[in-house]
Amino acid sequence: MAAAAARRRRRVPYLLLLPGLIYLVIFYLVPLISLGRMALQSGNLQAGYELTWEWDNFLQVFTTYRPQLLRSLGYSVGATLITLALGYPLAYAIAFRGGRWKNLFLVLLLMPFLVPFLLRTLAWRIILADQGVVVETFKAIGILPDADGRLLATGWAVVAGLVYAFLPFMTLPIYVALEKIDRSLLEAAGDLYSKPSTAFIKVTWPLSLSGVISGTLLTAIPAAGDYINSQLLGSPAQTMMGNVVESKFLSIVDYPSAAAISITLMIAIVVAVVLYVRSVGTEELIA
Amino acid sequence: MATGSGTDKDGVPAVELEGLTKRFFEFIAVEDVNLTIDDGHFFALLGPSGCGKTTTLRMIGGFEEPTSGVIRLHGEDVTGFKPYQRPVNTVFQSYALFPHLTIFENIAFGLRRQGIDDAEVTKRVGAVLELVQLTGRDRQRPRQLSGGQQQRVAVARALVNHPRVLLLDEPLGALDLKLRKEMQIELKRIQQEVGITFIHVTHDQEEAMTMADTIAVMHGGRIERMGGATEIYEDPRTEFVAGFLGASNMMGGRLEGQRVTVVGGIVIHITAAAAANRSGAVHLGVRPEKIRLHAPNDESAAPNRLPGKVTDASFIGVSTHYLIENPDLGELAVVVQNLDDRRFALGEEVVAAWQPQHTFVVSR
Amino acid sequence: MRWRRALLPVYLGAALVYMFIPVLVVIAFSFNDNQGRFNVAWQGFTLRHWLDPFADSSIIKAVGVSLLIAVLAAAMATVLGTLIALALARYNFKGRSATNILLFFPMATPEVVMGSSLLGLFVAFRVGTGFVTILLAHILFIISYAVATIRARIVGFDRHLEEAAMDLYANEWETFRRVTLPMIMPGVFAAFLLGFALSVDDFIVTNFTSGSIQTFPVYVWGAARRGIPPQVNVVGTALFIIIASAMLLYLRWQRRSALKKA
Repeated sequence: MAAAAARRRRRVPYLLLLPGLIYLVIFYLVPLISLGRMALQSGNLQAGYELTWEWDNFLQVFTTYRPQLLRSLGYSVGATLITLALGYPLAYAIAFRGGRWKNLFLVLLLMPFLVPFLLRTLAWRIILADQGVVVETFKAIGILPDADGRLLATGWAVVAGLVYAFLPFMTLPIYVALEKIDRSLLEAAGDLYSKPSTAFIKVTWPLSLSGVISGTLLTAIPAAGDYINSQLLGSPAQTMMGNVVESKFLSIVDYPSAAAISITLMIAIVVAVVLYVRSVGTEELIA
Repeated sequence: MATGSGTDKDGVPAVELEGLTKRFFEFIAVEDVNLTIDDGHFFALLGPSGCGKTTTLRMIGGFEEPTSGVIRLHGEDVTGFKPYQRPVNTVFQSYALFPHLTIFENIAFGLRRQGIDDAEVTKRVGAVLELVQLTGRDRQRPRQLSGGQQQRVAVARALVNHPRVLLLDEPLGALDLKLRKEMQIELKRIQQEVGITFIHVTHDQEEAMTMADTIAVMHGGRIERMGGATEIYEDPRTEFVAGFLGASNMMGGRLEGQRVTVVGGIVIHITAAAAANRSGAVHLGVRPEKIRLHAPNDESAAPNRLPGKVTDASFIGVSTHYLIENPDLGELAVVVQNLDDRRFALGEEVVAAWQPQHTFVVSR
Repeated sequence: MRWRRALLPVYLGAALVYMFIPVLVVIAFSFNDNQGRFNVAWQGFTLRHWLDPFADSSIIKAVGVSLLIAVLAAAMATVLGTLIALALARYNFKGRSATNILLFFPMATPEVVMGSSLLGLFVAFRVGTGFVTILLAHILFIISYAVATIRARIVGFDRHLEEAAMDLYANEWETFRRVTLPMIMPGVFAAFLLGFALSVDDFIVTNFTSGSIQTFPVYVWGAARRGIPPQVNVVGTALFIIIASAMLLYLRWQRRSALKKA
């Protein structure tokens, strides 16, 4: 009787997981596989698509779309670094100085999401407009040339937009990691190391590393695939891979080519996640 | 195999464990435990961390499934039963009070699950609150109470269901010394008033000896010694129990008749009962408080004598704790009650002496 | 060196202000007395848009769709997420690592990829894009965040509580209903709010899977070329204020009940 009960108990976690996992498999994994298949096809919407193992699609990612590829990488890396520089202190401030209002700060951090991202990005377009306050101020200080200095339609605007969009996604995982640090460890560090900065380097930073890496993954990769910021704040000279995918999927309808680009992005993610898991393990992934 | 002493109410023991074993992969937490606990008994499972006492308790409660063996409660085989199917209740180490419920609702929880009507619930909760002396706190939440109060609520919550057996998993561990001692007396009083069987898990031998009618000392997943406090203290029978319950001075020697020759040629006398069925190599023990110190040539000293030098003397108020260094046997711990003013100084030569009946023999 | 201690709080304040700047601009421009179709340069203060918010009925329709989807998607994702979080937090089972990884991926995937792959799926199975497909897509990307939020809450509470409930004659279902669920409720609710916010805000994935149905962001995107009517700002502002107030009030209520001490 004990054995039967034990068997039943062992099944419980799987039953709990089943609905959610099935959902993920159907709507996440299957489409991706199908996308992968699509990437190797050729044809068009009228004649239909055929699996012709068109590796050329992937080649194109690195040749025809090289500018977009490099730009996506560049903007993404830039935005990620800036977001990290801005987000870490933010997470630190909430975790260590938030006190009773920690939850309040977190809610405030997310509240802007109630206004659709598009509207907020358009607002940035207004703020960074040519005759706007920001540009004028920058011209006055000398950051921008007086004659034709502008922020919009430059890479800077796109990166700034990306930073704004992903700041919460960088901040939250870091916050969670910092929150978990046992305060007595820090007290011990204060005891052992004479300068607070040393305590930070030796204790706080390493312990928050998993959060930093999570945040980086959650920022860098989606940023690489973004197209809104480049479309609204940039010009055709700032198109990224996301733009290409979007146009090929929705406007020009060249599915295989678009799929190939998407798959390339996914491969980058998989590589990054594998490296992460190797170093830190899977438990911290969804902390 | 041992049985608890004491009379039972209707002849059926409250708890019976037969061949109970629990294995976690490679690790054997509980091995072949056999136990009978009589009704109305205060029973203690005593042992160091990791000895299996908590696992045993959890198996009785239904929170762990035995790998093999049988558990019977009042004659009924409950081995496969879930916790909510067993007529036992548990007081957890962390109290496990429901933070989102009031004290009243916490205590009433079990009653409500049994479908007892509101009037009866109110009556019983009131009665048990009085029993643990927390009347008036029924509307408060657990976090508003102190540790000791929470602990009493945990006890009340379990008792109100009139279980036939109450399981206590180191419930006093988180309390400070004074409070713990008060609660020990409280729990004993409650047990005697209510008359149900208590099974108390603890690593504190003093606690076990204070509260329990019968103590089972567990070690490495097995019960090494079981009996009343006096019995197992004065006759530990194994070296582990001798060391765990109080302190002991241990020595090895060769037994002939009733005389044991130990290292250095000294003869230690034991009683006939202790020598029964034994010969050859034996291990002896004597408790520090049974030893008296004498000047080297004092003939009034008891028959078992060991000469030595005082290497430590700590005055503890009630007693003085000495360490006597014997050249062959090493250090002897001696506890002398501070009755007369004869105190021995560091470096002084003394004779440590004790009566034969205070020597116990252990098996290794 | 006293001023050093003030650096962090000041930075915190500045960062939060930074997050709200665009929101303030959106609110401000709902009062803009714009001439013509575009609402990008400040031309004067007026209340007329606020007095006539329903001028364009398709805005209201789009907002309605957004809200409905957000509630449904957040609710369903929260339910699925709770189940998964319970499994992960309470049990050690084979395939645990794989589950963690699978849950992480949707969060790290660029929306373009998710949107395009979903569209591919729907096209392949000849499912028409519309309300349901948007809903399915939203649930997908919310689940992982829901699991993360709830799991944090579950891990924090005493495992013995459930054993205590069973000890007190509650079976598995009753234990869940009366002990586990109330305890994780704050986490579940937080997950719901998070999911709601993510859903209302989403554009890219929605764009791929919406077909002809318009959510609020989809409407805005479409209108961006033609010129966005200020009513959009009005509706957006109103929505923001209502929901933000609700969230803040909830927080306040939660703190009140948590602080009740003798």
